[in-house]
Amino acid sequence: MNSNADLLSVQNVSLSFGGNAALSDVSFAVRKGEIRAIIGPNGAGKTSMLNCISGFYRPQKGQVLFQGTDLTQTPTHKIAPLGIARTFQNIALYTGLSTLDNLMAARHIHMKQNGLQSMLYWGAARREEVAHREKVEEIIDFLEIEHIRKAIVGALPYGLRKRVELGRALALEPEMLLLDEPMAGMNVEEKEDMARFILDIHELRGVTIVLIEHDMGLVMDISQRVVVLDFGRKIAEGTPAEIKHDERVIHAYLGEQ
Amino acid sequence: MNEQTLPQLFLSQAQKYGANRVAVREKELGIWREFSWQDSYEQVKFFALGMIALGLQRGDHVCSIGDNDREYLWGFLGVQAVGAAVVGMYTDAIPSEMEYVINHSDATFALAQDQEQVDKLLELKGKTPKLKKVIYWDDRGMWGYDDEWLISFAEVQALGRELDKKEPGRFETEVALGQAEDTALVCYTSGTTGLPKGVMLTHHNLLSAAQCAFSIDPRYETDNHVSFMPMGWIAEPAFGIVPHCYAGMVMNFPEEPETVRENIREIAPDNLFYSARLWENLVGMVQVRMKDAAWLNRKLYDWFLPIGYQMADKKFSKEKPGIGLQAAYKVGDWLVFRPLRGQLGMSRLRGAYTAGATLSPDHLRFFHALGINLKQIYGSTEVTGGATQHRDGDIKFASVGVANPDIEIRVSDEGELQISGPIVMKGYYKNAEATAKDILVDEDGRRWFKTGDAGYIDEDGHVIFQDRLKNMIRLANGEVFSPQFVEGRLKFSPYIRDAMAIGSTDRDYVTAMIIIDFENVGHWAEKQRIGYTTFVDLSQKPQVYELIQTAVDEVNKTLPEGARIRRFVLMHKEFDADEAEMTRSRKLRRDVLADRYCEIVEAMYNGREAVQVRAPVKYQDGSEGFVETQVRVMGV
Repeated sequence: MNSNADLLSVQNVSLSFGGNAALSDVSFAVRKGEIRAIIGPNGAGKTSMLNCISGFYRPQKGQVLFQGTDLTQTPTHKIAPLGIARTFQNIALYTGLSTLDNLMAARHIHMKQNGLQSMLYWGAARREEVAHREKVEEIIDFLEIEHIRKAIVGALPYGLRKRVELGRALALEPEMLLLDEPMAGMNVEEKEDMARFILDIHELRGVTIVLIEHDMGLVMDISQRVVVLDFGRKIAEGTPAEIKHDERVIHAYLGEQ
Repeated sequence: MNEQTLPQLFLSQAQKYGANRVAVREKELGIWREFSWQDSYEQVKFFALGMIALGLQRGDHVCSIGDNDREYLWGFLGVQAVGAAVVGMYTDAIPSEMEYVINHSDATFALAQDQEQVDKLLELKGKTPKLKKVIYWDDRGMWGYDDEWLISFAEVQALGRELDKKEPGRFETEVALGQAEDTALVCYTSGTTGLPKGVMLTHHNLLSAAQCAFSIDPRYETDNHVSFMPMGWIAEPAFGIVPHCYAGMVMNFPEEPETVRENIREIAPDNLFYSARLWENLVGMVQVRMKDAAWLNRKLYDWFLPIGYQMADKKFSKEKPGIGLQAAYKVGDWLVFRPLRGQLGMSRLRGAYTAGATLSPDHLRFFHALGINLKQIYGSTEVTGGATQHRDGDIKFASVGVANPDIEIRVSDEGELQISGPIVMKGYYKNAEATAKDILVDEDGRRWFKTGDAGYIDEDGHVIFQDRLKNMIRLANGEVFSPQFVEGRLKFSPYIRDAMAIGSTDRDYVTAMIIIDFENVGHWAEKQRIGYTTFVDLSQKPQVYELIQTAVDEVNKTLPEGARIRRFVLMHKEFDADEAEMTRSRKLRRDVLADRYCEIVEAMYNGREAVQVRAPVKYQDGSEGFVETQVRVMGV
C-alpha cells in the first residue's frame, strides 16, 4: 500500500474526544497528482480526518506521513511551508481586509525579507513584493475574481468568499490542497463553477487534491478515488464506480431496507 | 483621403505612429498593458498572412465570437486585410443560433475566444460543412484538446511569419487590393419575427458613417475608447474600431466583463455610449450612493443639484444663464459635480450617447445637471448604426436629434421614417426578397432604407421617433397615433404612474385612462392643503384632475392636431399584475384592460360625465371582492 508515488499516507489513525471515538484505525494513501474525495454521512469523521492531516488535531494513535514527514509530530505553523494548504467548511478569512490583501497575506510563507526591510520598501523588499503581487494576480485571473480585487471580503456574498478562500489556499502554492466542503451552501451554477476550478487547478497546476463533499453527484464526477467513512471507520475505498455499488456504502447512506 | 477600407486606414495610422504611440491597452493581472501601433501592425499582419496560408479567400466570411479584447480586434482587422468580411456573433449565442449564422453566412473560418465558445462550435462539428478551422486564443482549460479542427491564434501567426519570409510585402499588397464596396461586416439582426437577417455593410458604409458622425463630434488621436459593448452589435465596430482606424483613437479593453465600470473609471474615456437602460440604472445608482454618502457630501449634493437643474434647463431652452447662476454652478461643479463625474469615469467626457428607447426628460436633465453632455442617437444596423444625433446646445427631449450631414430622412405617406445616404447597407446576405422589401430605390436612383418606424420631423428638423409602424393605430379621422408613444409621454410627468391611450378605426379621437402616482400626487396635495384619505379619494379630487390636465395639455402640444387626447379619466385603482391587467414586467395587457373597463371607455366616447364602477379586485390573500365608486370623465 505504501508505494513510492504516495504523497500522503494515513496509517492507523485513531482520534477520540474523551470517550467519543471520532476516528478509529483509519488508513489510506493519496497518490501524487490525484483528486481524492472523503465522503460519509454526517458525523462520520470527515472533517476530523482533514484536521488530523492539516495538524489541527493530534490523533492519539497512528501516523500521517506527508512525503515522509510525520505531520502528527509537526508543529501546526510548520505544516503550510511543507506544501499543504486548506480551506474551511465555515470560511476563515480576514473579513476586514480586501481580497487582494487576503491573498497577499498568504504569501508570507514565501517572503524572505524581514519586517524592517519590508517597511522601508526598498530594493530587494520592493522587488519581492512586486513578484508576490504578480503571483497573486495570476491567481485572481485564474479564479476570475478581478471584479472583487479591492472589495472587503466580509461584504462579499458567500459563493465569492468561498472562491477567495480557495485563492488564499492557492497563494501558498501548495503541493496538496485540502478542501473542506468547497461547494457547501452553493447554488447549482456556483457548484459547477467551483468544480471547474478544482479540475483546472488539478490539471494546470498539478496539485494533489483531497476534498470532503456532501454533493455525491459532483464528488463522483470529479474525483478519481473515494474513501468512505462511517462512524469514524473506513468502510470502503475505490473508484467512484465501485463505491456507487458498494453494499456497505449504500447501507451507510440509505440505512436498512 | 485615399484610404478606402478600414485596413488601409489602419495601415496608414500604423505607419504614422509606429512604435511611439499607444494603439491598444488591455488590463491584465491588474495592470494596463500597452501595445504600440507597431505591435498592433505586426499582430494584424502575421494573423492576416496566416489566414492566407490556411486558405482564406477574398470575399469569404469569417465568424467571430468572443469578449472584447485585443485578439478580437487584431483578428477583425486581419480578416478584413485580406479582403474577407467579419460576421460578428454574440457571446451568449446558443449552438443552434451559431449554426444558423455560420451556415447562412457561408463562413469558412470561425474565431472563437475560449473554451466556452470552442465547446459550442465542437458541438456543431459536422453540421457546418463549410467551416474549415476554428481559431482560438484563450487556451485556458483547453490543454487537453486534441482536434485537427482547432488552431490557436499564435499558431496562425506562426504560419503568417513563414509566409512573410517567403513573400515579404504580401500583406501590404493584400491591403492595397481592398475596395470601398467590399463587404466589411455582416451583422445578423436579432429579428423579432422570422429568422435573423445578415446585414452587409461595406467599407464605404463604415467610413461614411464615421465621416458623417465625426464632422459633428470629432474624434482625436488623444481620445480613449473603452470597448465593452458586444462585438456582434454594430455599435462597437462603429463606435470603437472604425474611429480607432479613422482617427487613431486608443482602444482600451477591460479586464473582464464584470470589471467594465471600474475600468471605465480608470481610463476616463472621452466618449461614452450606453444603452438607455444603462443610463437609467446609473441615475438610480447615483441617487442611492448619495443617500448613503457622508452628511456633508449629501448636503452639498442636495443643495447644488437644483442649481444644476436650473443650468440644464437654461441649456435646453437655449437661454443664457445669469451671472449669479453661472457662479453658483461653478462652485457646485467644483464641489460636487466634478468629483461625481470622476467617480463615474466621466471626468474627461466630451460626448455621452444613448440609443434604443427614448430617455425620459428627467434622466436627460439629471445628467446635464451633472455636466454630462448626454445626447440621443437614432439609427439601426441597416444604416451602419446612427443616422441622427443631438447637436451640442440643441437638445430636445422628445427628439432623437437631427439628421447627420450627408444623410437625408423623410417621412412616407404612411408615416414611416426613411433614411438615405452613404450609410445605407448593401443589402441582406442571400435574401434579395427582404432587401427589395426594405430598400426603396426612387426615380433618382437614391436608395432609401425603410426603417419600419413611425415618426415625424418637426419644424427645426428634429426627428421624433414614435413607435414601430406596426404598433400604430389609425383613427376614424384618418390620423395615425401610437398608444405607447402617448403613454410614454404622459408618464414623463412625475404625477402620472401609468396610462393607457385608447383609439381605434371606429373612434374619432384619442382618450386615456390615467393612473396617478399616489406618492407624488399625495405629496403635492399635502402641500396644497388638500385633505384626502385613500387612492380612490385622491384620484377623484377636482384639483387633482386639474393638475393632471396641465400635464395632458403639455403632451398634447407635442402631438399632431388629430391625435391629441380629448378626454381622460383618472382611474380609481392601479393597474395590477395580480389581476392580470399587466405583465410582471409592467407591460399593459390592452385587451384585458379594454374589456374590464369597457364602461369607462364607452363613457369617454358618448359624452357621459361620470361612471359608476364596480370593479372586481383580488386581494393578496386570494379572496375576491368589489370596489364601488364613481369615476369622473374630464374633457380637455
